Amino acid sequence: MVRSQRQKQLDSIIVNSLLMLVCLVSLFPVAYALTTSFKSEAEVLTRPPYFFPRTWTLDAYEQIFRSDLVRYHLGNTFINAFGSSVLIVIFAIPAAYAFSRYKFWGSKALQLLILALIMIPTLTNLVALYRMASELGILNTNFVMITIYLATGLPFGIWILKSSIDSIPHEIEEAALIDGCGPLDVIRRIVIPLALPGIITTFLMEFVFYWNEFLVAVIMLSKNTMKTATVGLLDFQRSYEVAYHVWMAGSVIIIAPVLITFIILRRQFFRAMLQGAVKG
Amino acid sequence: MTTATVHTNPRPSINFRRLVPLWLLLPSLLVLILVQFYPTAYTIYISLNRLRAGELIWVGTANFERLFKDANFFDSLEKSLTFVGSTVIATILLGLLVAVLLNYRSRWNPLYMVLLFVPWVISDVVAGTVWRWLFQQDYGLIQNAIQPLTGDTSLYARPDGAMLIVILATIWRSLPFTSLLFLGALQNVSQEVVEGAALDGAGRLTTFLRITLPIIRPTLIVGVILATIGGLNSVGVILTLTGNIPATETASVYLYEQGWRFGDFGLGAAISIVMFVINLALTLVYLRFQGEE
Repeated sequence: MVRSQRQKQLDSIIVNSLLMLVCLVSLFPVAYALTTSFKSEAEVLTRPPYFFPRTWTLDAYEQIFRSDLVRYHLGNTFINAFGSSVLIVIFAIPAAYAFSRYKFWGSKALQLLILALIMIPTLTNLVALYRMASELGILNTNFVMITIYLATGLPFGIWILKSSIDSIPHEIEEAALIDGCGPLDVIRRIVIPLALPGIITTFLMEFVFYWNEFLVAVIMLSKNTMKTATVGLLDFQRSYEVAYHVWMAGSVIIIAPVLITFIILRRQFFRAMLQGAVKG
Repeated sequence: MTTATVHTNPRPSINFRRLVPLWLLLPSLLVLILVQFYPTAYTIYISLNRLRAGELIWVGTANFERLFKDANFFDSLEKSLTFVGSTVIATILLGLLVAVLLNYRSRWNPLYMVLLFVPWVISDVVAGTVWRWLFQQDYGLIQNAIQPLTGDTSLYARPDGAMLIVILATIWRSLPFTSLLFLGALQNVSQEVVEGAALDGAGRLTTFLRITLPIIRPTLIVGVILATIGGLNSVGVILTLTGNIPATETASVYLYEQGWRFGDFGLGAAISIVMFVINLALTLVYLRFQGEE
């Protein structure tokens, strides 16, 4: 393919400027939330609005750190998101291994059923789950949140981990099985180390998803001390009319932990995703 | 079985091995049966009942009859159509564009990918809150910038405008994942095929439309399915961005309102079932497109 040097340079300029534009749009609302969170109430209520604060202040954060959002809600969010993501990985690894390595009756049908479960939205089951939880008396508990998150995140976890285990050559395991290792030993000693990028990706996606989850939380949690951060932020909206700098400080506090987790784990995540962890 | 370790006959251990996948799957299956399949069946049951003083009373198909006579529900379905239609089309087209751009493999790609993914790590509630602030009627940064266009009524206060903001925020949030999905597919397209077409004299656009797009079609369909399901069941962004104003009351928001604000569980369950059937039908239609050549 003959393409002139100038054409290539032009391509590069167009591609890079368009991508910079996309990144700017992606970042802008969050950046503005960040600068707003350092404004005073007077500056937030100034027309016309501007991007950077004239004087940087921690007023909004002082209010946030004294609020229930930091006192209760963030802790609950962490317990529910971390607990469910870890459990999803623990439940999904053996299941994915079974689908990947064993031929058994009904395997294909079960896999299809699990794929179908990914397509069923949580919204469908919520009325029933609410009734079940209220009859069992487990509304307003971390237990009910982690259980529902485990069940809704599991199909996706099994799906990603299966394609991750599929890509590991199985000769090593067979040698270990002949040496008398049980399947659980093989999973612990061979599969987990080799499938680590896929496991990290699964954990990251589930953790981000359930850190941010709102719908199940808003329905199951009405007691203030059990609420999660997303529900707490909505309460904020309702109680502090126009205190936008405080909402933005709250938003920044909710974003920061997942954003940092994402930045730390991003390489494995991008690699696993680009190798087709999620595909048709 | 436990004493079979020194057995010369290998049969018992083979039988035991056949049960291994069942043991490995059992924990997951139990969770899915109790917290996914059973609730789905229970939803169907609740949809045929009415809740009075905490007790379910059998009413047959009355909830569905009420629902199909409910003009508000059909209104909300129409809103869902607008909302889902626009977000899916825009997300797929923009996602494809971003994926093609990233596929040029600029050396800044690692940085672009991180910045692009910022909206992905953000909760729908936080996204709604932040976008609400951008379009706030008096002090919103974007609202003030577009003031000459909107005149006295802010975009937020107009019915179409409120819907537009909700759509923009949703596209913003779903673009990263869709782009990455498509980029993965583009990177798996064999370079030889594309270059072969170029040698035959096909332009870049023609090559893309005629060669690349058909190859990545299965992934495109997955992107469409995920965006459709996400849009149909979206509640958080809408609830935080516009509250429960009628202009943005999609079917999913209507379900939320009926089920929990008004405590009409029978009707809520009936809406769930109808929504589920719509989800399922759309997925099956898309999958047909995927299979057909």
